[in-house]
Amino acid sequence: MRRAVAWRTPALGALLPLALIATWQIAASAGTFDVGLWASPATVLRAASATVRDGSLAGDVWASLQRDVAGLAIGVPVGLIVGTLLALSRLGDALLGPSLSAVRQVALFTWVPLISLWLGNDEPGKIAFIAYAVFFPVMLATQAGVRGADPQLREVARTLCLTSWQSLRRVILPAALPSIAAGIHLALVYGWLATIGAEYLFSAGPGIGSALMTGRAQFRMDQVIVGMVAIAVVGMLLNVLAGAAERRLLQSRGL
Amino acid sequence: MTAQAGIAARPAAAAMARWSFGWPRSGPIAAAFLALIVPASGLAIWRIATQQAWVTPLMLPAPDAVAAALRDLARSGDLTSNLGLSLRRVVLGFGFGAAIGLAAGGAMGLSRTAEAMLRPLLLSFVQVPVLAWIPLLMIPLGIGETLKLAAIGISAFTPVFLNTAKGFRNVAPALIEVGTLYKFNWPQRVRHILLPGALPTLFTGLRLGLTQAWQALIVVELVASTDGIGYVTVIARQMFQFDQMLAAMLVIGVVGFCLDRSLRFAEARLVHRFGGAAA
Amino acid sequence: MDGLPLRQHSATAGLRPATLDVRNISRVFSAGSGSFHALQDVTLSVAPGEFLAIVGASGCGKSTLLRLIAGLDVPDRGDIRLDGKTIDGPSLDRGLIFQEPRLMPWLTVEQNIALALENAAVTRQERAQSIADHIALVGLRGFEHAYPRQLSGGMAQRAAIARGLVTRPEILLLDEPFGALDALTKVRLQAELQRVWLAEGITMVLVTHDVEEAVFLADRVVVMAPRPGRVSAIQKVALPRPRDRTSGAFVACKAAILAALGAT
Repeated sequence: MRRAVAWRTPALGALLPLALIATWQIAASAGTFDVGLWASPATVLRAASATVRDGSLAGDVWASLQRDVAGLAIGVPVGLIVGTLLALSRLGDALLGPSLSAVRQVALFTWVPLISLWLGNDEPGKIAFIAYAVFFPVMLATQAGVRGADPQLREVARTLCLTSWQSLRRVILPAALPSIAAGIHLALVYGWLATIGAEYLFSAGPGIGSALMTGRAQFRMDQVIVGMVAIAVVGMLLNVLAGAAERRLLQSRGL
Repeated sequence: MTAQAGIAARPAAAAMARWSFGWPRSGPIAAAFLALIVPASGLAIWRIATQQAWVTPLMLPAPDAVAAALRDLARSGDLTSNLGLSLRRVVLGFGFGAAIGLAAGGAMGLSRTAEAMLRPLLLSFVQVPVLAWIPLLMIPLGIGETLKLAAIGISAFTPVFLNTAKGFRNVAPALIEVGTLYKFNWPQRVRHILLPGALPTLFTGLRLGLTQAWQALIVVELVASTDGIGYVTVIARQMFQFDQMLAAMLVIGVVGFCLDRSLRFAEARLVHRFGGAAA
Repeated sequence: MDGLPLRQHSATAGLRPATLDVRNISRVFSAGSGSFHALQDVTLSVAPGEFLAIVGASGCGKSTLLRLIAGLDVPDRGDIRLDGKTIDGPSLDRGLIFQEPRLMPWLTVEQNIALALENAAVTRQERAQSIADHIALVGLRGFEHAYPRQLSGGMAQRAAIARGLVTRPEILLLDEPFGALDALTKVRLQAELQRVWLAEGITMVLVTHDVEEAVFLADRVVVMAPRPGRVSAIQKVALPRPRDRTSGAFVACKAAILAALGAT
């Protein structure tokens, strides 16, 4: 009985996916739908291996990642600084907090037409959009972290007569680090989504999002599926890596 | 002597108050006033900038122009019709996505067998962002209504599904034990313990789902649409009618804000009613 | 061993041992409906090198007094002077040990102690030497590179004491430092603290609710009473060290203090 249960879960789990893929392949081979439009699992695999072999998949992913990093390089530091300032200055928070909160309410992609108007339709626009997308998670997490930094440790900084700057650098920011790390984790996830979205909505160029749109325009469903999987995989990897880094940070603090 | 020393102590006290990042407690009126300084000055600078021609209307239209564009949109009926379309899409798409999410999440949360069967498929499914689905769906569906509803539905599905499963799974075992004690059968357990216990998390999922649905609506109307409030911003941009573009952006912001606020309010009420019951 | 050993002052501290003068200190907290007199007209004096204990029930203001001496709070009336100079805010002249060790979790023991020397005018060599000396002083040799999560409660508190001493303050203030420790560790650390006091000759003011601890460690015990917070009695403990907790004189002293506490 026990041995039966052990393989039960994986078997059940594999049931649906296999059934779906099988149905898909059978329907495709039987010509139940327009093969010019719909791809079969076989064509998808062929397209996948083609793009991997000729390096275009890697090239596209790499281009997107570069864009992503550029946006992060701007958005994350600004978020850190603004978040810290808002947490340290109640006046600053009273002045800027509500306005930032209101701006945050506007759905992210609403800004695309405006950004493309001000910064153009090419790389600067895309990178600015990505930077904007990652700014808020980092700012909010930093603000929460700094504000919540253990007041007992802050008091120690006072008894040790640390200057404001020393206190910030040696006590408050390290204490806020777990929260900041969570914010950067979110920033990585949102940044990747913003990158893909930017590639859809701004000018075409190297990148996995652009490749997806090109595939769509050419009705190449196999290419589109390969791109989709690539986007999902990269997103997953970023999420997993960020999560692991966060966990290690917490462990090193004994939390 | 003591009085002098007392006075000498005051500056230090003030210094201490500043050092503890404090600002004397001000009332809500003061807070509202401070909050308005930045937007008000922003508006003033905007007006001056356009009046003094520091920026061209091609870069940034005057606030009055934006207000006028908003009025025109409202009067011509364009605003209501497009906004109405968008809202209808959000509600329908969210409805479908949330319903499936509740069903799948409920199945996964309540039945181990269902969990085993659905887990790998659904967890992989949610890894694919809705953005990535749009080009794929556009091939068979074009840019019709089905595409938009599908995209919005998918985006609503993920948070609803995950939170529903989590909500049912995380009902306090202590409460479930009470059910066993009273020999509840399965439907009774669901009705009296599991459902109310899971309700707060469920609602959080619905709120997040609607937020995602709204975001997806905007994306879809930017990428693949010929109507809707998102499309209004696109077409205004293309036609160089930047005042209209900003007016539409403002409407999007306000609607999104109202949606979020009302949901949070409802969620708070619900948690108050049910959450506190977690003995 | 009677008599109070004099402090060997380093070139960075004053050359004359300093007296702590608390004069007519009052501190009132306003809490919603009314005001709470944490301290009312408290006056006392601490001689250089002395070990002073302050005991009292909750609400008698002993912790408030300590924080005022440390400079973390400001009196509403009266002043506090160290070596004739009115204190205004925290200073490295006055070290403070809290009930929790309050070590930075991301720093090693060594780094935590070094933090206290961040603003000290010492060379890198002097700094390293001082840290090593103080780690040895509190008996933590070998744990320089340990992180707080790897230390027991007692060890963490020792590290905190080393951090408090490394700046060579005129006076060390301790706010119920052993309150969070188990009985065995507490007794051990009390002996350690006494050893450190004897070795360093530094003035110490200890706030505690443990009368036995006060009698074991102090030259004088100040008994405080609540509502309003004030000094109700001062008991001299003229017993030679090391003190025997079971001796008649010890027990009598403890009883006298408990009586003074009960009478309020």
